[in-house]
Amino acid sequence: MTMAIEAFGVGRRYGRRWALTDCTLSIPAGRVVGLVGPNGAGKSTLLHLAVGLLEPSAGTISVLDQGARSGPSQLERIGFLAQDSPIYARLTVAQHVRMGQLLNRTWDAAFAASRIKNLGLDPSQRAGTMSGGQRAQLALTLAVAKRPELLVLDEPVAALDPLARREFLQTLMEIVAVEGVSVVLSSHLMADVERVCDYLVVLVAGRVALTGDVDELLALHHRLTGPRRDVARMPAHQLVIEQSHVDKQTTLIVRSQEPILDPVWNVTPVTLDDLALAYMRQARDSAGPSSNGLELAR
Amino acid sequence: MIRFAWLQSRTQTLVAAFVLAALAVVAAITGIQLSHLYATLVAHCHTGCDLATSQYLSHDQVMARALDLIAQAAPALIGLFWGAPLIAREIETGTYRLAWTQGVSRSRWVIIKLAVVGLASATLAGLLTLTITWWYGSVDKLTTTPYAVFDRRDITPVGYAVFAFAAGALLGTVIRRVLPAMAATLGAYVTARVGTALWIRPHLLSPIQTTLSLRGAGPTGQAHLGVGSQNGGAVTLFAQGDGPHNSWTLSSHLLDSAGRQPTTRQLAAFLHDYCPNFRGPGAPPPSGQGVVQVVGPDAGRPCLDQAAKAFHLLVTYQPADRYWTLQWLETGLFVALALVASAGCYWWATHRTS
Repeated sequence: MTMAIEAFGVGRRYGRRWALTDCTLSIPAGRVVGLVGPNGAGKSTLLHLAVGLLEPSAGTISVLDQGARSGPSQLERIGFLAQDSPIYARLTVAQHVRMGQLLNRTWDAAFAASRIKNLGLDPSQRAGTMSGGQRAQLALTLAVAKRPELLVLDEPVAALDPLARREFLQTLMEIVAVEGVSVVLSSHLMADVERVCDYLVVLVAGRVALTGDVDELLALHHRLTGPRRDVARMPAHQLVIEQSHVDKQTTLIVRSQEPILDPVWNVTPVTLDDLALAYMRQARDSAGPSSNGLELAR
Repeated sequence: MIRFAWLQSRTQTLVAAFVLAALAVVAAITGIQLSHLYATLVAHCHTGCDLATSQYLSHDQVMARALDLIAQAAPALIGLFWGAPLIAREIETGTYRLAWTQGVSRSRWVIIKLAVVGLASATLAGLLTLTITWWYGSVDKLTTTPYAVFDRRDITPVGYAVFAFAAGALLGTVIRRVLPAMAATLGAYVTARVGTALWIRPHLLSPIQTTLSLRGAGPTGQAHLGVGSQNGGAVTLFAQGDGPHNSWTLSSHLLDSAGRQPTTRQLAAFLHDYCPNFRGPGAPPPSGQGVVQVVGPDAGRPCLDQAAKAFHLLVTYQPADRYWTLQWLETGLFVALALVASAGCYWWATHRTS
């Protein structure tokens, strides 16, 4: 199975500060993967390492089964949209398209032209005068028109207003549906991930707190509400991820392969948001190597 | 990639080309007037040439000053506005993340950017110095030795411009922000230029030494001699020698017949013995400070004759015919520095830049 991103013990240091330590993960290709985690979790660093902008200080990282820094042919296989959608403020939309054409042998000019037209962008407009949403759309067009096998998006919608965000994600989903490209998308907003992703990786402080297929994860986890109860008395196959107690009531988020049959509990499904937050909290509270034990066996 | 580098630098190159063209037109018009004036006023003059020359030289001083300023400033401006932002702006605005994830390796990207904009810098500086050297052609002949305008004519400005560009690119890559990089570039450029002029250019070729009699002009140079006091201080002997016509005098020292530099006491004793007419500290200096009061030829003739017998001058200079060799050497030096800076910029961008 081809892996979109595979990292073994990857670390990256800026001066004396480690932005990412001992990160080992496998992100499958052919999926739309949401990479989530709190700010400062090392998401951007990991993605920069993946696209070859950074070199790891420790460990190895490969993308689509090749070293991340193995030259221009590798760069052509990856479409990267960096945070805040960097574009050249003084170049026009048409000049950006020209740039893509000049710098990528795999460039699909017809695709780029039709995308620009569909987006209603004025080719003679300078990119510096465009709205944030338009910038993001232009940057996405540049990343996709080079016909990559993998699209890497670093916080693509973080700076956009809700409407532009919805439009951007809509566009992204259309592209994924039509072009069948693998996507790795980082975000700290679960709602966005929930809308487009079918695979989830939760990164906390440079470590993987949770990884798996979205549907499987949702099927594995349950929210239990019932009378107040000591967590230590839960059955062994029901792993408590999060607990909260108020007065006479206990609410748990539990991972279990088997259905919850105990009639004491009112069992409701969890949302992806609940799940990611629960694992982030747990990883943060038990900071240290022990958090590795929380990875989901698949 | 070459075409993209051109696309990115097109606007700045066209602006520079436009300014250069405008300057060339103005220089052509005034330059032709100037050479016409030279032909009528100076070229065929036999008597009263001083008046004609000064009339000619005062003709277009505004243009002369402007061109001189441009010749001095242009290489620095190229370093500040083309060199420093080359990579610093990509890093500062985050566009390096766009540029270096296209299907062109970062090494190739950096090399081609350096080559294209560096070549544009050299071309611009070359055309500029061509224009300025041409415009000044006849003026330079009348006013100065070529060494006085060594760093503003002919080919040295091309070397300076290429160096300023590469130094700017390197500093921008290391500092990662445009404005501080520009400041650092200016500092580095001024340091390199001043350092070269003071300590390196005089020794690019080992200079010639010659001894001069104090009796005045000779075939190998010219001596000036006087006795007087400075700022109302003690009376002393002033002697200054110049190398041959159009040469560059580096230094001149007064030596006694044994080839040693006379001490202050020796000089005082000499003056006491042979120049009794001069007493110091004498009358207040004629006007203001820093004035050397040199006594006229008749009053001190025996004294000066005696001085010429007792002392001579050792003059160190670069002769006029080394001008072009020195031009090429200094230009080569700056081009070599530019290549080193470019290599540093390449290494830093590919190995040390995130």
